Amino acid sequence: MTYTDRQQKRAEIRAMFKSNVRRRLWVDKIVVGTVIVCALMAIIPLIWILGTAVYSGVPALNWEFLTGKPGAVGAGQISIGPAIQGTVIIIALTSLIGLPIGIMGGIYLSEYGGNSRFAKQIRFFMDVFMQVPSIVLGIFAFLAIVLTLGYYTVWAGAIALSFIMFPIVARSTEEALRMVPWTYREAGAALGLSKMVITLRIVLSQAKKGILTGVLLSISRVGGETAPLIMTILGSNIFFSGFDSSTDALPLRIWRLSLQPYDEARIAGWGAALTLVIIIFAIHLGVRYFFLRDKSGKGLRGVLRG
Amino acid sequence: MVRLIDPSLKKLSFALSEMGTLDIKIMSLATESFVVGTNTSSEALKISDMISKKYFEVGNLTFEILLKYQPVAQDFRFTRSSIEISYDFLRFGRYAYDITLIRDSFGDLRRCVRTHLNDSFVLVERMVKDAILSFATLNLDKARHIQEQEAMVDIIYRERMLSLINSKDTKCAMAEALVLRYLERIADHALFMSDSVNYIITGEHRGRPPIRKV
Amino acid sequence: MSTVMTDRSATITTIDKPQTRYKMRTENINIYYGKTHAVQDLTLAFPEKSVTALIGPSGCGKTTYLRCLNRMHDMTPDAKVEGRVLLDGADLYDKRIDPIYHRRKVGMVFQKPNPFPTMSIYDNVVAGVKLNGVRNKDILDEIVEDCLNMAYLWEEVKDILKKPAMELSGGQQQRLCIARALAIQPEVLLMDEPASALDPIATQKIEETIEELKKDYCIIIVTHNMQQAVRCSDYTGFMYLGKLVEHGKTKQVFERPVDKLTAKYVQGQFG
Repeated sequence: MTYTDRQQKRAEIRAMFKSNVRRRLWVDKIVVGTVIVCALMAIIPLIWILGTAVYSGVPALNWEFLTGKPGAVGAGQISIGPAIQGTVIIIALTSLIGLPIGIMGGIYLSEYGGNSRFAKQIRFFMDVFMQVPSIVLGIFAFLAIVLTLGYYTVWAGAIALSFIMFPIVARSTEEALRMVPWTYREAGAALGLSKMVITLRIVLSQAKKGILTGVLLSISRVGGETAPLIMTILGSNIFFSGFDSSTDALPLRIWRLSLQPYDEARIAGWGAALTLVIIIFAIHLGVRYFFLRDKSGKGLRGVLRG
Repeated sequence: MVRLIDPSLKKLSFALSEMGTLDIKIMSLATESFVVGTNTSSEALKISDMISKKYFEVGNLTFEILLKYQPVAQDFRFTRSSIEISYDFLRFGRYAYDITLIRDSFGDLRRCVRTHLNDSFVLVERMVKDAILSFATLNLDKARHIQEQEAMVDIIYRERMLSLINSKDTKCAMAEALVLRYLERIADHALFMSDSVNYIITGEHRGRPPIRKV
Repeated sequence: MSTVMTDRSATITTIDKPQTRYKMRTENINIYYGKTHAVQDLTLAFPEKSVTALIGPSGCGKTTYLRCLNRMHDMTPDAKVEGRVLLDGADLYDKRIDPIYHRRKVGMVFQKPNPFPTMSIYDNVVAGVKLNGVRNKDILDEIVEDCLNMAYLWEEVKDILKKPAMELSGGQQQRLCIARALAIQPEVLLMDEPASALDPIATQKIEETIEELKKDYCIIIVTHNMQQAVRCSDYTGFMYLGKLVEHGKTKQVFERPVDKLTAKYVQGQFG
């Protein structure tokens, strides 16, 4: 191809460009617009829900409501003290069971299992577990624990909920660990470190953020579950009185209150819902602040941003 | 595959071959000044100047190649040898011009040209041609042959020097001694050149022959 | 610059002595990646206190070979290594020995700088030492200064040791990685194209570092950059298609290569 040929060809190609630039700019604008609208549509329900919860729930909030025992309906004050306490206890116990299993399982899957048959099977069962309706897990815990022991116990609830928790934690831990570039493991190995040290001290610290996200997601999931609790901790009107009796929890209480025809129950229900949201939010903030503050160095703002 | 370094190497070879052509020309002028008797010194001076100009051109080119392309292996050996070879070329030109200068200051010396001198002229001129050819074609055999020729020039030089001491014809003796001395130097440089060719091809220096006493 | 030059010539003359002591040698190394026979029957020895460069076109197996020198292939499931790697006469691939023992003697610097991102500069340097159980603060401080000095980085970072390592420039990060590798007091240092991602000035600093480290270590460096091999190595091995084609003094390999293939490669006619 001679020089002039090339020049001509170039001019032709350039001519082709110009004619469709306008149209492409329009298409670009439409696509960007659609994406923004979709994003807004995803946010609107969230704001709506939060707004409604705050709007309807704030009137119910007062000291007595948060700390007292629930009296008889119609006899004045409804309180959710035992429900708050129960929820905190159940989240703590579930985390106690679910987090170690979940995180260790995730470490196994990512660092040790690899593509072995065993690891693949575990991964499959985890995925299945995540799909199982939570009521089924509740029934399982009821049959296996409550019926065997002969009484409702908070442990049964915690175990049922940990079944929801650990697959989420394990899979998100695995993903987070896999995101850590291989080169850091090699760098660790080249320093003569054992695999356990590399995993725990080098890889895990880089995957911290991803793991925390999974953990918090599972806590939120668990904190809001109602179905497995009906048949394991039953619900109660009194504060926690031991591991061999029924306990109350916020989702249960909300559910109960929503079944009642009275106005004050409805308001109390919203108040309980708002309280649940605040508790979950507090846990998120607290955990993120505790684990991520050093690195970001930007205090609470850095934590909020992510 | 054409490499980035190739055009520059080509330019370098071309400059060297031009030097070679000039050297062959100036050598024949030197021979002519004695054998035919024409005074060629002014022409030889011109050519000698051209050669020294080329010498600097080659110098610049080699350094440009070394710095720009950092050549290795044969490219490196060729580039490096170019500096030495161009110096040999420069000396050829210079000594040939010196020979024509003898003719210029002594006058016509045809009567002094005897077999030995004639032979030396023929031999050295052929050596220069051989050296240039062996470099142009990177021919190892030709390069080796030069070593033998150089030994012969040396023998002639040594024998003639001894006999010239007792010569009655001072003018001829002086002229012959000087010319033989220059021819011997030229032959030496032809040998150096053949050694450079040897280095380009094999990567090893043959080692200079021991310095001979006169 | 002049001191560097004299140092080098001095080292070359010592190497030229016939009683060269070999720090590390490999015998009939074969490496397989799944079905690929990546390195074939490679026998090579690395003299003490010298730099050996491995050169060759992409995919010739030089990095693969380098990684077998500290059993890095143990980390990849489908890689298989046959043959013997001897460090001071002890076989690295002895089945009874955990690779950890040898890796502590053979430091490695990778192609891309990979300081641990969650750690400070200080912690990066002592990562290997600390996680291997050394806790004494004075000793750690000493190691940090010593190793950063050896890696030519101390002056640049001595006031910001507590800052995250990721805030350093690419060249500084790579020198930090060198310091980190030196901190475990290795006897051999493997470098896999340590300057390939760096600008000329950073590259020069790394090369100065290598020049300096040569006095104490046996360094094996894989490089794409032939000028780099000429500049900082004493010995050069040319690999092609998984085989060692030529090995010898760097000067010889680059000035008058014996093998035609080597000559073609170093002159840039392929690869």
